Amino acid sequence: MFVLREALRGMWRNRVMAFIAFGVIFFSLFLLGLFLVATFNLFGVIRYAQEKVEITAFLEDDLPREKIEEIKKRIEGMEGVERAIFVSKEEALKEFKRDIPKAKELLQALKTNPLPSSFKIKIGEGYKNPEAMKRIAKKISVIDGVEEVKYGEEWIRRLDKVVKFLFLFDVLLGVVISIASIFVVSNTIRLTVIARKESIEIMKLVGATERMIEAPFLLEGMIEGGAGGLFTAFILYLLWRFLSVRILEFYFPTDAILFGLTLFGIILGYMGSMVSVKKYLKGGEA
Amino acid sequence: MIEFRDVYMVYEKNWYALQGINLRIEKGEFVYVVGPSGAGKSTLLRLIYMDLFPTAGEVVVAGYSSSRIKPKEIPYLRRKIGVIFQDFKLLKDKNVYENVAFALEVIGTPRRKIKEKVLKVLAEVGISHKRHAFPYQLSGGEQQKVAIARALVRDPFILLADEPTGNIDPEGTREILELLKNINTSGTAVIMATHELSLIERFPRRLIRLEQGRIVEDTGVRS
Ligand SMILES: Nc1ncnc2c1ncn2[C@@H]1O[C@H](COP(=O)(O)OP(=O)(O)O)[C@@H](O)[C@H]1O
Ligand SMILES: [Mg+2]
Repeated sequence: MFVLREALRGMWRNRVMAFIAFGVIFFSLFLLGLFLVATFNLFGVIRYAQEKVEITAFLEDDLPREKIEEIKKRIEGMEGVERAIFVSKEEALKEFKRDIPKAKELLQALKTNPLPSSFKIKIGEGYKNPEAMKRIAKKISVIDGVEEVKYGEEWIRRLDKVVKFLFLFDVLLGVVISIASIFVVSNTIRLTVIARKESIEIMKLVGATERMIEAPFLLEGMIEGGAGGLFTAFILYLLWRFLSVRILEFYFPTDAILFGLTLFGIILGYMGSMVSVKKYLKGGEA
Repeated sequence: MIEFRDVYMVYEKNWYALQGINLRIEKGEFVYVVGPSGAGKSTLLRLIYMDLFPTAGEVVVAGYSSSRIKPKEIPYLRRKIGVIFQDFKLLKDKNVYENVAFALEVIGTPRRKIKEKVLKVLAEVGISHKRHAFPYQLSGGEQQKVAIARALVRDPFILLADEPTGNIDPEGTREILELLKNINTSGTAVIMATHELSLIERFPRRLIRLEQGRIVEDTGVRS
């Protein structure tokens, strides 16, 4: 009760400083929020690309049904293979026509269907990297009745590199933004602490414990941080609504942004206050 | 109750703010600490409420030794010691009542109790009628009364006064001195640092004279 009253009072009395702290937190979190949205979207794209990762095994023509069944069983029995989906010659042709409508007439001219039947092979989660894919592809290629195996080697290699790089970059950026935020916020809050040094001095003089002295500042930091987080989430939401209607659509993780940023704001405010109050209590006289 | 054992205090190299101080102050005493500016009076008081720790020697206050006290214990020692200063150190954004109540709030006293105690102590120092006033609306003497009330509201066994009348007109000075006398009569020890010797003649008590960090005179208990 006393702590809450002191915190609110302190903020009101030093409202300019409190507002600056709020602004700084808002700005830090705004950057972080943009970063989060970008990350979410990036990983959405990567996941989508990875879904597409598959191996195609083209079969020899005119294989008997039992042989096809047998090949399917062998492929599905391999480590790292999730499912093998049979695509008949007819289905392949249909797909081809659908994908490349201009080729329709050309194909119609041909009497026979030139496309082979095949297996679309879905790969398990831990195996969507160039090495594992190569291994699986090799094992499939030696199966009797399999004519050729394709899996877009080059493309997968590149995707893999991009994912690794982006992931590293993303983590690094996240860490940098977080540390910078804590630093900036704690420095700003230190100014609010210094602005109240008289009050701290008197608290020490009359025998307040360190915890009691810190409490209003910590609460103040948490209020400023939480408010900054909520406000940031709100602004980002508006920005999203605006952009996705007018310019480009992208995924916006509303709940994650709202709770994540508010929580992070609170933590940021708390840590910022903690750092600066502790520093001040250790270094300050009286 | 308070004991200095061969205390030396050095802030900066080669300069003793205090040297070879040996001193005992008993329960309920009234002691003047006098001496020119820079003699070490404030330093002596700060050692008592353990705002400073001696460079050498030991200060023992209410059973707490400067060489053994833990940082966590200092707040509890301070709750038993009242301190007032020349510049009052009141919070400008709080009124008289709130300034005094603050000293109880920060040590977690229940609200009902706070009201009771604050009103009582404000009456004792004779400033009840101004309890809604803010520091800037008060004279120096009145502000010092508020500071005294804040110090007393926790029932300290000792009141330390560092040049308490330095910023106060003669009329106010007399009132403050009278107040300190009454506080002492009711059992609280008072240690008052001052360089105004004229004050002492009106109310002679034990006197400790400091010069360049040394005790050059101690009259012993006198009443
Ligand atoms: N914080 C400090 N840092 C360095 N020197 C100090 C400090 N406080 C006091 N001194 C020195 O210690 C001596 C005693 O000071 P002080 O106790 O304030 O004297 P008084 O209160 O009698 O005027 C003086 O020489 C002063 O300059
Ligand atoms: Mg002094």
